Amino acid sequence: MAGIEINFEEELKKFHPSLEIEEAEDAIYSQDITDMADILVQMVKEAKEEE
Amino acid sequence: MNCYKCGCLLTENDFCTNCGAEVDRFKRIVRLSNQFYNFGLEKAQVRDLSGAIVCLKQSLKMNKNNIEARNLLGLVYLEIGEAVSALNEWVISKNIQPKKNIADDYLDMMQANPTRLDALNQAIKKYNQALTYCRQDSLDLAMIQLKKVLSINPKYVQAHQLLALLYMNVEEWERARQELHKALRVDTNNTITLRYLRIVDSVTNVDSELTGSAGKRKKKHTEEQYGDEIAATNRKNREAVLNNVNVKEPNGLSVLLNVVIGCVIGVAISWFLILPARINQVKSDHQKIEDGYIATLSEKNDTIKQLTEEKEELVGKIGELEYSLNGYSGTDEMVNAYERLTYAEYLYLDPDHTELEVAEALNQIQDSDYLNGTENYKAAYDHLLTAIGPAASRAYYNQGMVRFDAGDYEGAIPDLQMAVKYDAANVDALYDLGNAYRLNENREEAIAAYEKLIELFPNSSRVSRAKRYLKNYED
Repeated sequence: MAGIEINFEEELKKFHPSLEIEEAEDAIYSQDITDMADILVQMVKEAKEEE
Repeated sequence: MNCYKCGCLLTENDFCTNCGAEVDRFKRIVRLSNQFYNFGLEKAQVRDLSGAIVCLKQSLKMNKNNIEARNLLGLVYLEIGEAVSALNEWVISKNIQPKKNIADDYLDMMQANPTRLDALNQAIKKYNQALTYCRQDSLDLAMIQLKKVLSINPKYVQAHQLLALLYMNVEEWERARQELHKALRVDTNNTITLRYLRIVDSVTNVDSELTGSAGKRKKKHTEEQYGDEIAATNRKNREAVLNNVNVKEPNGLSVLLNVVIGCVIGVAISWFLILPARINQVKSDHQKIEDGYIATLSEKNDTIKQLTEEKEELVGKIGELEYSLNGYSGTDEMVNAYERLTYAEYLYLDPDHTELEVAEALNQIQDSDYLNGTENYKAAYDHLLTAIGPAASRAYYNQGMVRFDAGDYEGAIPDLQMAVKYDAANVDALYDLGNAYRLNENREEAIAAYEKLIELFPNSSRVSRAKRYLKNYED
């Protein structure tokens, strides 16, 4: 096998269930969409408050 | 680009002309987001979908309002079979930018075809079920489920990968390779797919073109999937045109030859494809009919067996009844025997009847009556015989002697026999019976009677005469 072997159990752990329609709404609401811009604004705001 | 603080359109300046906010760093972040979007777009264009997803997600981490990146991410998700994730992205996109958003079109497209959406959702459900089967160690069921998933959505990359993993687990390397190649056709640079393919190649000692080197792979994918597909099609078309140009007009012989070849091919198709199917159908029909006959035969056999058993039972009953009937018949004979004995007793007790009449009645009783009779019957018969014996013997003797004296020796013999029977001590009857035999020329019977007389009554005066008659016979 030329030193390459597969661990089925370990590989199986890398597979995750896909989202189903019924779970879509919860997924949208629970999605963290905070971006770098939000963090930057927050940092600027905090810096100004310290001043 | 709008100001992150007031939403006003930004200019070339590093500050917002409306609210005065510094937007230099914000602009850098947005540019970075756009750059990731561009990378993602390039990767998506060469079908490196997993790479595109990484870049687009990165782009959205920089700027969640990057609508193009979010919409493209939705498209990529849909392409690899993650329809619900695609819908999520488009719904968020629509929420961020309600107007002039192409996500509208995508959502309308999905909603316009609810059957397709339902099928995609079913595929996802089955995939999740297959994953559950895998974790429950029901790998066969998982394989079946994944095959169903891929029949619904052949572009479901994760399903291809999981099925390939299952094949690898049972060392069906070729099937695993096929699944991995199918996955690569959808997502050309998926890390998991390439790693599995490398393992399969390593085990089977096959150097897959797709796993040779990154540069080679990229080149091949680029050629195969995109521009070169058109080029290849054009090339084929050109070749077809050239071939057509080079082909000569068919003459009559070649037309005839083509027709013959066509007929031969038709017959061959009939023989190898249609005929076996038809034969199998006929065999199946015959098998059904045969099964029907066998079932009917089995029922008939059961009926015959049942009837035979009933017959044997009835024969047994008949035997029992015959046995009972014989018993009754025997009883009837016995009744008759008792009736004859009773009649003889009646004659004996009635003084108006002579001993001879009683004897005649006793003569009607058969030897079998006496032998089959009970002890009481035998006792009654013996008693009656003893009671009338001497008298009856005398009566028979007298009757016989009347005939004897008249010269009717033959007629006298039965009476004298009866006289001897009823009284064995009647020596005269025995002597005259011998004489009757002798005079009627029954030599043997006469000798027997005389010898019996000499044996039973050696002192009788009749013995000397009997001996003389015997001597005469000897002479």
